[in-house]
Amino acid sequence: MMMLYQPRQSPLHRLHPLTKLVVSFGLIVLALGISIDWAPLLLFVVVLVPLSLLARVARPFLDTSLRLLLPFAISLFLIQSLFFPEGSTVLARFGPLTVKAEGVRFAFASTVRILMITGALLLTLLTTHPGVLMSALTQKGFPPQLAYVIVTTLQIVPQMRMRAATIVDAQRARGLETQGSLPRRVRALLPLIGPLVLGALVDVEERSLALEARGFSASTPKTSLFEIADPLAERVFRWSVLLLMIGLIMFRLGQALL
Amino acid sequence: MIRLQGVRYTYPVSSAPALAGIDLDIAEGSFCAVIGPNGAGKSTLCYTIGGFVPHYFRGDLEGEIVVAGRNTIEHPLGELVKHCGLLFSNPLNQISGARFTVREEIGFGLENLGVPRVEMHARIERVLDLLGIDDLAERSPFGLSGGQQQRVALASILVMGPQVLLLDEPTAQLDPLGSREVFAAIRALSQTGMTVVLVEHKPELIAAFADRVIVIDAGRVVLDGVPQTILASSELQRIGVATARWTEAARLADAHGLWSRRDPLPVTLDQAAEGFRVAQNTPS
Repeated sequence: MMMLYQPRQSPLHRLHPLTKLVVSFGLIVLALGISIDWAPLLLFVVVLVPLSLLARVARPFLDTSLRLLLPFAISLFLIQSLFFPEGSTVLARFGPLTVKAEGVRFAFASTVRILMITGALLLTLLTTHPGVLMSALTQKGFPPQLAYVIVTTLQIVPQMRMRAATIVDAQRARGLETQGSLPRRVRALLPLIGPLVLGALVDVEERSLALEARGFSASTPKTSLFEIADPLAERVFRWSVLLLMIGLIMFRLGQALL
Repeated sequence: MIRLQGVRYTYPVSSAPALAGIDLDIAEGSFCAVIGPNGAGKSTLCYTIGGFVPHYFRGDLEGEIVVAGRNTIEHPLGELVKHCGLLFSNPLNQISGARFTVREEIGFGLENLGVPRVEMHARIERVLDLLGIDDLAERSPFGLSGGQQQRVALASILVMGPQVLLLDEPTAQLDPLGSREVFAAIRALSQTGMTVVLVEHKPELIAAFADRVIVIDAGRVVLDGVPQTILASSELQRIGVATARWTEAARLADAHGLWSRRDPLPVTLDQAAEGFRVAQNTPS
C-alpha cells in the first residue's frame, strides 16, 4: 500500500475532510500561539493521541509521527544545544564543544512544535480518503490543480520510500554496502539521492501527460464518484474554529505590539 | 476517422523536425500498427493525433489534423480526450495517486469530464467487465502487477468512451506475462470495432492484431500496407526495425534455396511452420 490513508469505520473517518483540516490547522495555531514550551507536547498527548485511538489508527499514527520527527529532532538537538547563540548556562563539555541549557530548551520547543504540526496533519491524512479530500477541496472552490498537488504531495512519502527501496536493492545487488555502522549507512545515502531525485523528475512529464489524457484540464465542472456529506453542524463548527483561530492570532499580534 | 495532411512538427528545443511531412488516412474501425526505429517519430505521431501537439507540446506545427471529425488544433485538449484516448508505456506513471482503489482510479477521468455519478458507476462496471478485471476493482492500483496496472490504465482511458485509441508501446515495460495480459485486453478491444493505433516493436503481436502497418523513419512514412507485406519486407532491416525470428529464418532458408518461392515469407509462427513443411516436401 502506497498511501497513508487507513480505511476504518470511525467517527473521525466520517467527518468532512475540511472539518478535519480546519481542526488540524486550529490545533497547529494553538500550539504555536501558546508561549509555553511543553504546550504542543501536551496537545499531542491529550488531544491527538486519544483522537488517533478513537479513529483506530493509533499505531500507524505514532509510528509515522516518530519516523518523521526523528531526523528533525536529532539535527535540532545537535545543532541548537551546541551552537545556540544566546546560550550561557553550560550543562556539559565535550572538548571544545559545550552543551548549553538555552539551546536544549530551544531544541525541545522546536521539536514538540514539529511533532504537533506533523501529527495534526498526519491524523487528517490517515483518516481521510485522498479522493474524498481532493473532491471536497474542489467542491469548495479550490482550483483542481492545487487540490491535486496538495493531495498527491501529501501522499508522496510512501511512494518515494518504495522507489528508494528499489534503488537501494539495485545498488546492493551491485555490491554497495548499505548496512552496518552509522557512518557506513550515511555514506550509502549519497548514491541514493541522485537516482531518486532524477528518476522522480523524469517521470513528471509522463505523469503530467497521463493526467491530461484523463481530462484533467477539461473546462467542464467536475463531478465526484463519492458522496461527501457536509452537515450544518460541521459547517458551524468549522466557522467557529476559524473565528477562534483568527481571535488567537489577533490576540498574539496585539501582545507582540504592546 | 483520422486524417493528417502535410503534418510537420518540430519540438521547441529541437532544430530537426520530429514529423517531416505526414499524410495519413486511417479508416474507422481500423487496427493500425506503427513501427519504426527509435527516434523515428512514432510517439510524436501519437501525441499529434491525440492533440497533445500543439496543446501540451508547443513547438512549430504545420498541416491539418482531423480526428473523429474534430480539427485537433482548433479544439481544446480537454475536449479532444473524450474522443481520442492515449495509453503510455509506463503503467505506474498513469496512476493518478489521488485515488485509493482500482474502481475509483478508473472513475478519475469521468470525474474530470463531469459525468454524473450514476452514469460513472455504470461505465466503470462495463469497462471492468470488458477487460476482465472485475476482481481487481476494490484493490489498490499500487499493489498490482505491471500487467494488471496497465490493464487498469487502459480501462481508465476506455471508460471515457473514446472513438480512437492510441497505444504507445503498451507492453514495453512489462514482463512476458504482463505483455500477454495486456494483449489479451487489446484482443478484446479489437473485436469491438474501435479505431486503434498501436505503436509496438513486437512483430508477432502486430501480425496477430493489425490490419494495417505503417513504418515511420526520420518523421516520414516510408512503408504502408497490410501486415503480410510490410512485416516480411527486407526494407525493415535496412532502417533498423526488427522482424520476427521465423521471418528471418525463412529469409535465410530462401537465400539457400530451401524455401518455396511461390510462398511469401511468413509473418506468423503458423505460416512459418506451414511454409517449412511445404519446403520440406517440395523436391529441389
